[in-house]
Amino acid sequence: MNLIAMNFIMIAMILTLLIPIVEACKDNNIWQKMLALSSISTKTSIMILVVSVLRDDWMIGVVAVIILSVGNAGFMLIAHVMKRMRNI
Amino acid sequence: MTDIYIYLIIALLPLTACMVIFQVNPYHALVIRGILGGVAAMLYAILGAADVALTEALVGTMLAITLYAIAVRSAMVMRVGVLTEELKQVDENILNEGKAQQLFSQLMTDLQKVFRQYHMRIELISYKDMDDLDRALVEQEIHTTCIRQAPLEQDDRDQAEIQPYQTKTRIKRLYNIMKNELSSSETILTYFNVANPEEKHS
Repeated sequence: MNLIAMNFIMIAMILTLLIPIVEACKDNNIWQKMLALSSISTKTSIMILVVSVLRDDWMIGVVAVIILSVGNAGFMLIAHVMKRMRNI
Repeated sequence: MTDIYIYLIIALLPLTACMVIFQVNPYHALVIRGILGGVAAMLYAILGAADVALTEALVGTMLAITLYAIAVRSAMVMRVGVLTEELKQVDENILNEGKAQQLFSQLMTDLQKVFRQYHMRIELISYKDMDDLDRALVEQEIHTTCIRQAPLEQDDRDQAEIQPYQTKTRIKRLYNIMKNELSSSETILTYFNVANPEEKHS
């Protein structure tokens, strides 16, 4: 039962992950791509968290939390570099 | 391992990798490289390599993209040397709308339009006089100079007003791009060979 539920949840999450991937593929604006990137990054960390809870594996869970929290600071940095690039 | 979702996640990795490969704009490719990093980190974590996933997310995605963004930004630029008074006149142009200065702005807009197709930027660098400008071109500080051509005689003034600017570049590739695609009649293009200054084309 647990295994079937896990499969269903993960497949649903992978299908959700495909939405921003398609968006990043077809959109030409760089800020839309940055949005898709941050969306995908958050989604993947949440997926890792779900897997870690279902498998009862704390090591993976810690990695997911670190990616989720440090990732946002990194995106801010990248967005600032991109903004400077457009201005000059 | 009977879990079907692992195979689906593994399939995402070549999908995003192909997206990176087929992207032509370097800035967009960098962002998609971030997406590839996120998917790869998830795959590594789910397959059980927590340390590899952490390294991929922090170094592979954040640090690599930031460093490459700075590298691409510094590399894909054409530095154009102009005289200081030219830039000053362009600033004053907003007030009194001089015709010659309008041509300069028009020329810069055309250049930007041409080089945007190649994902390059134009950077204006001002020099005090002609000697400084020529020295900077020979010493490879700038790629191109853009100067106003001195009017030859009073009678030729009409003709000089048609093509008042002379653009000289020392990079053959930039010369070819500008020759083929710069349609504006506001400038005369010249190729300047630094290694052999005698050889000139126009």
